[in-house]
Parts: sequence; C-alpha cells; structure tokens
Amino acid sequence: MEISIDRDSSEPIFRQVVREIRSLISSGSLPEGFRLPPERRLADSLGVNRSTIFNAYRELKGLGLVDAHVGRGTAVLRAPAPIPNAIGVPWRQLFRQSVARSHDPIIADLLALTEREDVISFSIGLPAPELLPLDTLGEYTAELIREVGAPLLLHCPTEGHSPLRETLAQWVAARGIRARGSDVLVVSGSQQGLDLVARIFIDPGDVVVVEEPTYIGALQSFRVAGAKIIGIPVDEDGMRTDILASILERERPKLIYTLPTYQNPSGAVMSLERRRHLLELASRWHVPILEDDPYSELRYEGEPLPSLKALDENDLVLYQSTFSKALFPGLRIGYLVVPPVVLRQLALAKQGADLHANSFSQYLLERFVRDGHFATHIEKTKIAYRRRRDRMAAALQRDETIGLEFAVPAGGFYIWCRLPDGVEQSALLANAAARGVVFLPGRACYPTEPPENCVRLNFSHASEENIDVGIERFLEAVREARVWGRMKGPDGIATSPVV
Amino acid sequence: MKDLRASDIREILKVTQQPEVISFAGGLPASELLPAAEMAELARDVLADDGVRALQYGPTEGMQVLRELIANRLQSLWALRRSTDEVLIVSGSQQALDLSGKVFLDKGDIVLCESPTYLGAISAFRAYRPRFVEVPTDDDGMVPGELESRLSSLDRVKLIYVVPDFQNPSGRRWSLERRRDLAELAARFGVPVIEDAPYAELCYDGSPLPPVASFDEAGLVILLGTFSKILSPGLRLGWVVADSEILQRYVLVKQGVDLHTSSLTQLLAAHFMLENDLEAHITRLCDVYRGRRDAMLAALDEHFPKDVSFTRPAGGLFLWVELPEGMNARRLLERALEERVAFVPGESFFPGGGHENTLRLNFSAMPEERITEGIRRLDRVLASVGAAV
Repeated sequence: MEISIDRDSSEPIFRQVVREIRSLISSGSLPEGFRLPPERRLADSLGVNRSTIFNAYRELKGLGLVDAHVGRGTAVLRAPAPIPNAIGVPWRQLFRQSVARSHDPIIADLLALTEREDVISFSIGLPAPELLPLDTLGEYTAELIREVGAPLLLHCPTEGHSPLRETLAQWVAARGIRARGSDVLVVSGSQQGLDLVARIFIDPGDVVVVEEPTYIGALQSFRVAGAKIIGIPVDEDGMRTDILASILERERPKLIYTLPTYQNPSGAVMSLERRRHLLELASRWHVPILEDDPYSELRYEGEPLPSLKALDENDLVLYQSTFSKALFPGLRIGYLVVPPVVLRQLALAKQGADLHANSFSQYLLERFVRDGHFATHIEKTKIAYRRRRDRMAAALQRDETIGLEFAVPAGGFYIWCRLPDGVEQSALLANAAARGVVFLPGRACYPTEPPENCVRLNFSHASEENIDVGIERFLEAVREARVWGRMKGPDGIATSPVV
Repeated sequence: MKDLRASDIREILKVTQQPEVISFAGGLPASELLPAAEMAELARDVLADDGVRALQYGPTEGMQVLRELIANRLQSLWALRRSTDEVLIVSGSQQALDLSGKVFLDKGDIVLCESPTYLGAISAFRAYRPRFVEVPTDDDGMVPGELESRLSSLDRVKLIYVVPDFQNPSGRRWSLERRRDLAELAARFGVPVIEDAPYAELCYDGSPLPPVASFDEAGLVILLGTFSKILSPGLRLGWVVADSEILQRYVLVKQGVDLHTSSLTQLLAAHFMLENDLEAHITRLCDVYRGRRDAMLAALDEHFPKDVSFTRPAGGLFLWVELPEGMNARRLLERALEERVAFVPGESFFPGGGHENTLRLNFSAMPEERITEGIRRLDRVLASVGAAV
C-alpha cells in the first residue's frame, strides 16, 4: 500500500491519509478484506505520530470503509460501487432543453473584461464611477443602519419594503403615471422584472414581440422561457408600428416588449404618434405591453414625452424602471408599476424566485430618494453624461474616410454605430480587445440574423480622456478590420434581410 | 403558467404579524442576535474604501473575495476541497432552488425528494412543472433501497433534492452511512443531487457530519448554502457549490434572472467574515437556539399528551409533531389562532398531500418563556379539540 503525504499542505496529515486510502479503496486497489498495516507500522513508515494514523483509521471506520477488530487489525469492508468518471455524466441530456441550447454568456464575458484595468470599456451600460456620491454615502448609510437596526437585516415583504413602494409611486407621478404604493412591485434589478414577466406570461412556444435591435438581457430571459421571438425594426421614431400591425394579426403574441425612450441600443425615441398607435394596436388585440424605461431620467435635450403607461387607458401597460442606470447598479433594485391582478401573479413568482429583494438596499434607496439626493444626483450626472456623449460623437467623426454612420442620441447611455461594409464583427472585436478597447457587438441585440452591421458604444462609463483614447483605438481597429475584410471578400458580411 | 399556487406559509405569516400571537410558524432567526451595530461600521468602511465596486455592476458569478472566503470556509468546516471557480453567489438559497429548476427541469421531469420535504423547494420547482416523487424516509434519511428502486424504475428522474442537516420541517439529520449511500446511488444512476444545507452549521449536540458533497466523486452533488441563518436573511445571500460544468449553466441562467447579486451586500458579508469572527457569532447563535430548543422540548414533555409524538432535533430551527391518527392540524390551527398561537400544518410539506395529523414548530424566534407559554396554549387547544374528536 503506497501513500504519499505533503507536509507543507494546509490539509491536516490525518485527512491526507484518509483521502489516499479512500481513493485506493474506491479504485479497487485495496480489495474487500484487505488488511491495512497496523497503526504503528504505517506511522513509522510515514514518519508521523501514531495518533495521526489512529485518527485516520477511526475516520475511515466512520465512513464505513473499513472495520476494526481487536486482534484482527483493520480490514477493508467493501469497495463502493464503481463511480463513473465525471466527464461521463451526460450533462447535456440532464439540462433543460432551452438551457442546453442557450447562447454564449456574452454579458458575463463582457462584465469580466470590464474588470480589467488596462481595457477601456464601451461595452456595458455602466454609470460613471467618479460621479457616485461616495464621500458622504458611507456615513449616511451607517447612520441609517444604526437608526433602523435589525429590520434592515431581516426579511421584508415579497412585494417590497412598503415605504419604498410609496416613495416610488410618488416618484413615477412626475412621469405622468398615476399609481399607489400597492401598485408598485420592487424587484431585484430590472433584469428580474423581465424574468418574472416572462414566467407569468410565456409558455414554451408562445410568441413575444420585441424591437429589433433590442436589449440583450430581454432576449436572454425570453429565450430561456422558450418563447418564439419576433423582431420589429426600429427607425429614428422608434418601433415600426405599421409592421407590428400585421405581425399582431398573424402571430397573436403573448407580450410586446419595448424601450420607447432612448432605446437600448439604438438610442431612438418613439414618437408620440407611434406611442398612440402602439397602444391602440395592443388594445385591439389584447396584448400586454412591457414598457422598459431605465433611461428616461437621463435626458440631454428636447422635451420629454409621456410614457406609454401615462397614456394607457386600458391597463395593458406593465411599466418597469430601475435605479441601476441613474444611480447604483450594484444595489440591484428595480421596480414595476402594474395592475393589481398582474402584481399578485408577479409577487407569487417572485416569492419562488428569491423571496424578496434584499432589505438593506431597499431601506437605503428609500431614504436616499425621499431625502432628495436621487434628484440632485440625476441633475449632476446628466451634465457629465451629455459632455461624454458629445465627446464620443466628436471623436467618432475624426476620421470620416472610415464611413461610420450614427445618430447622436438625445438621452440614455449609447451610441449605435453602423460599420462600413467589409468589416467583420468578430474580427473587429478581437482586434479591438487586443488594442485595449471593448464594445458590444450589435448582433447580440437581434433575435435572429441581424440585417445590419452595427456596434453599441456606451459613453457614460469612461472619462472624457478615456473616450478619446478608446475611440482612437476603436477607429484603428475598424480601419484594420476593413482592410482585412476587403482582402477576404464579401463572404463575411451578414446581409440576410429580416422583416 | 397555471400551477402557481398561493403559498400556505404566506397566508399564515400574515396572521402571525400581530404582536400578541405567539408564532411557531416562521423560520426566522432571533432578531436581537443580528449584528446591526457591526454592519453599520462595516457599511461605512466598505463604502469609503471600496465604494465603486460596492455600487457598480459586478460579475454574475459573484465577488471574487466572497467566493474565495466561502471556498476556504468549506475547506475548514468540512474538509471540502473546492476551487473558487466552483462557487457561485446567489440572491439567497431560494434563488439557488429556482435556478436549479431552471437549469434542469422540463415539464414532466421527476424530482425525488424526502417525505416530508422543504416547502420553499416545492414552490420553486413547481414553477417548472415537474412530478414530485416522495422517497420513504426514516429517522436516518432516505431509505437507500427505496431510493434505488425508484431510480431504477422511473424514467425521467432529473434531480434528487435533500436537506440532510436538521431538515426543514422535520429536524431530521441523515446518518453518515446514508449520506455515503446517496452519493453512491447518484453516481451509479448519473442523477444530480441538490444538497440544501441552510442549517448545517446550527448543530447543538455533538459534532456536525460532513455533507453528502464530501462523498461525491462523480461531480454530481450540488451543494447549496446561505447566510440567512448564520448572518442575516435580509441580505439575501447564498451560494451554490458545484462542478464547473454545471455551474456554468447556473451562471448563464442567473444572468437572465437578475444579472448578479447585490455587490454591496456581498462586500458586507465578505468584510464581516474578514473583520469579525463569523464562527464565534454562530457559536453564540447555537447557544441561544440550544436553550430555546431545550425549553420547547421540556414544555412538550411536560404538557403534551402521550399519544402526541415529536422529534428531538440536534440542530436547526424546527421540530416536527405527529398528532394521533385522525386529527387534523389544519383544523387545529384555526382553534390555535383563537388562542393566539400559530404553527404550520405539516400537510404542506408533502408534495403528494396527506399527513393531515402533522405540524411543524419553530423554536428559534422567541425567548424561552414565550415558548413555554405558547406550548401551554397549544396544549389547551389540543385538549379541547381532542375532546371534540
């Protein structure tokens, strides 16, 4: 019987002995009935105390692997059933069908890249770190905890911390939405809102209509729910409701998902006329609308338009917003304003999903909003983000020979940028990452094959200096990818039209 | 989605929020033991020193520092060697259950579970419309022969769900042998095991037993843990420990569910572990809960009729009561609420229903004299109902 131990390991020696003998037994090297060496002999041969071996044998006995009798020594009881190699486990068959065929975790990869210090990231919709009110927030929070005490660490209702629901009802009134606290559901970030809505409306095979392009996280939620996703093109006035009309008649979707204001990723604002048309269509076909509104506070110019929820007279709009874009994404708090019957179903689904959003963040946000700090913070960040947007637009125009096309958005977080023909996105992404800049490939924002070759550039996160440097790197990468693409010929270009 | 039902516990908890009610219904930690003062200091320091990370988006897998601390703790508590890559931070262990359903369960798949089993798991899995099959269970855990016969005769078994340590609701702890048997059977049949271990650290008598995961050589055991019982339920923090092949799928699904768990609460928990003594805190909790368990057992011994049996759990938060056949705990509850004492009828913990004569009592949430008083009230109710039956 050969055993090796590592004296430098932090693992106690008796455990190492147990592990070694165990694996010898389970591999069949030590058959049933095999006598283990007497404790003293093994202790001497390994140069350890006898008590170490005593403890190891005792544990092996406890594990049911050996038996000890005075006078007969310690013998292997039986070899456990042969254990198949982990690699042999047919995981793909065990996973749920929609999960087994899910797409790559692109958001996780981009979040991971964003953590690298040498990389300038235009990929994720992150708020600017320098603008976080860190100098005062620590003491503010400590005081709140001292004041509130235990409830802040205890459970709170699934629907949300009641004062926060009241405060949010007042907050959305400024957007023309009439709501009571009981109409508000607090969720663990608006990604959860998407997931919960998918849970209560979508059975596998049901149709969901989205804008095209749209928010990548929504596509992910709907896909895992097993939905059939149909995209409606977006132009500078938002979703093409004329196309929607024929789709509604033909497909009878369960849900329409839209980001009408500073759409992610296109930056488009749905016109008032289209908003009315969308509501009219939804009401004619009885299809609920999920209105996702993370960005409307971040308006850099122009007059605000009423939200769909504010215009809705038929209780068909489920309104959703979040603190993640205008304030602190790391707290993971979003909210929905929905009709009572929907709220009840969502709350039941949420209870099964995670009981409730963490109490700590809810208390903190409630106080922060009520004290007026949220409103002050939004004013401060809007000024900074407008400058960053202008800085990025100017930097992108520095080399007009490349032929990039984009519109300057009136609000939100992103510039949606059409690449010149001949640039292949995967090559561009790799090339850009090598130069220390990352962005979101536009194809991730489409439910099917994208008709256009676009990228999404976030301008809120990087400083103005880094925007200059990052865009310069990006333009170099485009120039190079373009030459490379031209040499390769037109094969790499995605052109299949989608209606 | 038509199968979603209002949870029984939800309805009961509403009633028990009145202060004059002595509630054995919840599963709450003792609120006076929550480290609010320490948290105030930690929150101030975390926001001052590491504020950007605390308030920004973070990785779906969780904060590196917390994953590492949890991996180390598994090693020091259970000699379980897992790398940081095998740890995923989740928004409470309820989310871990939900993600498990989302990763594994298509409609009609089979989940093997104990009998009784944890209600929150039933409600999390039920959303995916599986079939629950209860495996006969005795005081030492699932009976291996019964488990084996179901594994070999049933076609679509996707998961085995177990709570081996001081189970909610029964308080039962699996024996060492049964743990090893489960790992072996799972490996032989290639079926993943969800080992839910929220109470493993709350051990009041003797030493804790190693988790099923420590016998797992096939990479099939998915171990769930949580800060809810040992630190704070309001932070909503738990973890999933699994083979990286499985964990990647959990990450993918979690991304669609909530992107990631709150960065601020993750850092608070990590700093609590770094700067305070979590193990000493748990020892304090155990001392208090042991006293409360003993108070409840003493009151039950003194007051309850002899034909009522109950478990004597060595840990956890609950004990399990069996009334004489023919009695109905649901009806008993109606009378109990009139006497201002509450519990959870046991029926809810059996996916297949039945067992109307069982109920669950929590002993962690209130001081010993309230426990004694509550059991006295319960006894009065029993006496009056017993007379009626």
